[in-house]
Amino acid sequence: MPTTKVNLETTDLSNYRYDMSRCIKCKGCYWVEHTYMPGVKFSTRCPSNVWNDFDSYGAFGKMRIGTALVEGKLDWTPTLLEVVYADPLCGACDVGCKRNLDLEIGLSLEAMRVKAVKDGAGPMPAHKKIAENIAATHNVFGSAHNDRKKWLTKDIQVAEKADVLYFVGCTASYTNNEIAQATAKILNATKTPFMLMPDEWCCGNTLQSVGMLDEARELAKRNIEMVKSTGAKTVLLSCAEGYRMWKVEYPKLLNIATADLPFTVVHLTEFADSALKQGSLRPTKPVNVRLTYHDSCSISRLADPWTPWSGERGWMGTVSPRLKRRRGTQGLYGQPRNVISSIPGVEFVEMIRARENAFCCGAGRGTKEAFPTLASSSAKHRLEEVKEIGAEVLVSACPWCKNNFAQAVKEDGNHVKVMDFSELVLASLDA
Amino acid sequence: MAIVKEAYKALEDVVGAAYLSDDPVICEGYRSGPAGYEAGLGYERVMTKIPGAVVMPKTTEEVQKIVKICNRYCVPYVPYSTGFYGPRSHCHMENELLVDLKRLNDFEFDEKHWYAVVGSGVVYSQFQEECLRRGGYVVIGGGGAQASVIANLIGDGWSPLSHRIGLPHRRILGTEMVLPDGEILRMGSLAVGDDWFWGDGIGPDLRGLLRGYTGLRGCLGIVTKMAVKVLPFQPERLQPKGISPNTALALPEKRVKWINYIMPSKETQVKAMYEIGKAEIAGAVTKVPLFWRAIAKAECKEEFWDIWLKETPETIANFHIVRVLLIGFTSEEQLEYDENVLNDIMMELGGQPRPTKPSDESWIKNADSAGMWLMCGSYVSVDYVIETLKQATEHGPVYAELKKKYTPPLMPDHGDPGWFQSFELGYQGYSEFLIYWDQDEDTTGVDHFYLETSKMNINHRFYTSLIGPHQPMYLTGPKYGPNYHEWMLKIKNEFDPLWTCHPPVPFAHDEFVERAPWMHELKTWETPKEFPYPQWVKERLAAEAATFRAGLKSEAKVKK
Repeated sequence: MPTTKVNLETTDLSNYRYDMSRCIKCKGCYWVEHTYMPGVKFSTRCPSNVWNDFDSYGAFGKMRIGTALVEGKLDWTPTLLEVVYADPLCGACDVGCKRNLDLEIGLSLEAMRVKAVKDGAGPMPAHKKIAENIAATHNVFGSAHNDRKKWLTKDIQVAEKADVLYFVGCTASYTNNEIAQATAKILNATKTPFMLMPDEWCCGNTLQSVGMLDEARELAKRNIEMVKSTGAKTVLLSCAEGYRMWKVEYPKLLNIATADLPFTVVHLTEFADSALKQGSLRPTKPVNVRLTYHDSCSISRLADPWTPWSGERGWMGTVSPRLKRRRGTQGLYGQPRNVISSIPGVEFVEMIRARENAFCCGAGRGTKEAFPTLASSSAKHRLEEVKEIGAEVLVSACPWCKNNFAQAVKEDGNHVKVMDFSELVLASLDA
Repeated sequence: MAIVKEAYKALEDVVGAAYLSDDPVICEGYRSGPAGYEAGLGYERVMTKIPGAVVMPKTTEEVQKIVKICNRYCVPYVPYSTGFYGPRSHCHMENELLVDLKRLNDFEFDEKHWYAVVGSGVVYSQFQEECLRRGGYVVIGGGGAQASVIANLIGDGWSPLSHRIGLPHRRILGTEMVLPDGEILRMGSLAVGDDWFWGDGIGPDLRGLLRGYTGLRGCLGIVTKMAVKVLPFQPERLQPKGISPNTALALPEKRVKWINYIMPSKETQVKAMYEIGKAEIAGAVTKVPLFWRAIAKAECKEEFWDIWLKETPETIANFHIVRVLLIGFTSEEQLEYDENVLNDIMMELGGQPRPTKPSDESWIKNADSAGMWLMCGSYVSVDYVIETLKQATEHGPVYAELKKKYTPPLMPDHGDPGWFQSFELGYQGYSEFLIYWDQDEDTTGVDHFYLETSKMNINHRFYTSLIGPHQPMYLTGPKYGPNYHEWMLKIKNEFDPLWTCHPPVPFAHDEFVERAPWMHELKTWETPKEFPYPQWVKERLAAEAATFRAGLKSEAKVKK
C-alpha cells in the first residue's frame, strides 16, 4: 500500500490536504456539540460563520477553499483574504470536528494564512502595521518600549530572582494595567515571589496567528532564551493568548514538545486554583454579584500541549506512528470555575454555551484589528447570552476578551460589568 | 458573472447584495466534494458542479420570488438546507443557482397541541432540545443531529426511536411549499386555514407526492415551513456531561434506560424484536453493527482498525445483539413493568443482558452520523429498506455476499449484513446497508457495487427504497411498477414544466451512467434515444456531457 509522508508543519498547506479533503459538511465545526445543544437560540459556536452566513465562512467551506488553494484553482482576491482572515481561529471548529473525525481543521486554517503570507497576499494591512510596531517598539501598540513597566505600583513586590516569572504581555503592560496589577497582587497575597522578564518583548501572538511565522519564531527564540537566562521554573501569564503562545505555539514554532520547554507554563487561573487548594489563596471577602464566566479560547480548547509529529499516511488514511490528536480536552475548564465558586457571595451561573462549546468573543488572533465589525458583532452576540442568563458581571481570563466585551457593552449601553479573572480574585482578598 | 446578468440583478433586488454572491471563492465553499455522503464516487465527480451563484433568502416570499426569477430566465436552481446529503443536494448543472435555506430558521412551538412549525434551516438537535425541555420528543433521523429537520423528514426521517414514534409521514402536519414555478402549495390543515395542526387536507394526501418513499431529492420545489408532531416523552431532564469528544446524556435510570442483550442466534434476535413489539414496550429496539461498537470504543481512526481487524467473519456471524431503550413515559412504575416484560421475553429466548452505561451517546438527542466517516473517510448507505424484520435477515446476507466481490475497494467488514431494527412496534422492520471506502483509491468498484445492488434487488425480488432518483430510473422503473418512471416524469412535467428545479433529477443517475464510460459495461437495460427533458435542458446537458468527454480525453493524454 503506497504511503505519503506527512507532518504537522503549517508552512506547507499540502500537509493538510487529506484533512481538508475529508470534510463531510457535518458542520460539527459550526453547531454547539449536539449533546449540549441548548435549543434554537445560542446554538452555534463559529463567530466567523455567524458574522457571514455563506458556507465559505464556516470551516466546512474553508476546507473546500483550502483544497482548491492547494490545487492552484483559486487566486488570492480580497474575498479570499477575508475568508481566510475574518476568523479568530478560536478552535471551536477543531474540537467540533474531532468529536467524530480525526481531521486537523485548526492547523489547516493556520496553514492557509501561512500560505497567504508566503504568496505575498497576506496578512491584512492592519496586521502589517502591528508587525511594524513589534519590530520597532517590541509591543503591538507601537507604544514606547520604556513604558512597559509603568504598570508597576509601589505596593507591588517584585523579586530580583524567583522561581516564578510573570510574563505580563503587551495588553496588560500598556492598556490594561489593572490586570497586571491584580495579578501581581494576587501573587503577593499568596506569598509567591515572582520576577519579571529583564526586558519583556511581545509574545508574538498576532504574528503567529496571521501566518508571519518567521517573525514569530524569532520572538519565540528570544523570549525562551531570556527566561532560561533568568533560571525561572515557571512562566505565569494572565493573558490567554500569551499562555497559548508560550505553551503551544513556541514549541510548535521551534519543532519541540511543550514538555521539552525548560520551564512550566501556567495561567493565572491554574495558579489560583492550585493556590486555593494549597491554602495560600484565601478568598474571604464577599463579592455579592450574580456572575458568569466566559471561557477564553486560548486557555480552553486551544490549550492542549504540543508534540511534534511526522510520519506516513497510508491505508484508509491511517497514520503511522500513532498521532495523539489535540482535541481541546486539556483546557483550563475546571480551574477558573473552582476559584470563582469559592468566592463568598458569588452567585455563579454558567453561560448557555460553556467550556469547549463557548462562543468566542471574536477579538483574538488578529481579528479585531483587521475586522472590527466581526469582533464587535461576536461580543454583542455573546452579551445577549449573558443577558439571557441574567448575570450582572461577565468574567473572562484574557485582556483581549475583556476589552472587546467592554467596548461592546459601551456601544450597546448594556449594564453588564466586564471583569478580568484577576480583578475578581483580587476583589475577594482581604487587604 | 456566472448566471444571466438580468437574473442576477433581479435576485439582488429580492435579497439584497449581502445575501447573493457569484464570487468564485464564495461558490467554491459550496462544492459538493471532495468528501461527504456519497462523495468521491463517480456520481459526485461527474454530476456535481460548483454553483454559478448562491442566494440566501430569509422568507417564503423571497423564495417564491427567487423561483419565479429562475423560471423567467431559465436558471436552474437547487434547494440546499445544510448540504450534508452529499452530491444529490448540490448543483448538477453549470451556472446553476444554489438556494441556501439556512436563514429560514423560524421556530414556533405550539404548547397546546404539541407540534412545532420549523423552517428549513432548523436542525434536529435544536428541535429535540426544544421538545425535551417540554417533556416531549421527536426522532432525530439517521442523517444526524445536524440534519435539517425538513430535509430529513421529506427524505428519510427515521431512527431507532421509530420503533415507537413511527414513520415520518405520520408526523408531517401542515406544510408550506414553494412549487417549482414559484406558486405556494399549502398542505394538510393549512390548505383550508392558518392552522398547522393536522397532516391530512382536502383532496389527495400530497405528503406522498412530497416525499414518496425517500423523497425527490430537491427536484420538486422548496419546502419552507413544516409543522411536525411532537410526542410525549417523560418529565425528567437528561443532563449533558463530559468534555467533547467524550460527552453523553446522563439518563435518569428510573425513567430512561438502555439495555443490551446478546442473543444466542439470528432467529432469536429477530424473535426478540417481534416479541418486544408485540408486548408494546420500549422506545427503541435495534441491532447494532459491530463496527459501530468499535467506533465507539476507539480513541482514534488507527485504534478503530486495531480493534476491528481482530474480528473475523465468524465473530461477526455469531454476534447477535439487541439493544433496547426503555422509557417510563408515564411513570417509574411503567418502566419497571416494561423491564419485567422484557426480562421475561429475554429469559425465554436466552438473551443475556450486558452491562450498559446509564447514559445516551447517540439517538435520543445526538445522532453521530459523522462518526461513519472515521474509519475510511468515505461512506454511503447503498440501500435502506422498510419491510419486515424477517426480511432483513434474508436480504442482509445476499447483500453481504455481493459485497465480497467488491472488497477491496470496500472496507473489509467481515461480511457484516448491515443494520436492522424494529419500526412501529415490530409491524415493520428496517434494514440499512452501509459501505465504506477510501476515496483516494480507484472507486470504480464502488460505483459498480452501488448499481449492482439495484440489479441484485431486482433479481431477488427484494424491496428497496433506493429507487427513484437514487438509481437509473430506466433500470428500476420498469421493474418496480412496472412504469413508475413514467409517473415520475409526468409529475415532474406537471409541476415543473420548465425543469428549472434541480435538473436533471430525477433522471440524474441515468445521465451519470451515460456519461461515465466505466459504467457502460453495466448497462443492461433499455433507455430512450434521448432523455425526455425540455429543449433547453437537453442542449445544456449535451454541452456539459461533451465537455466532460473532452476532459476525460485530455486526462488520458496526460496519463500517456
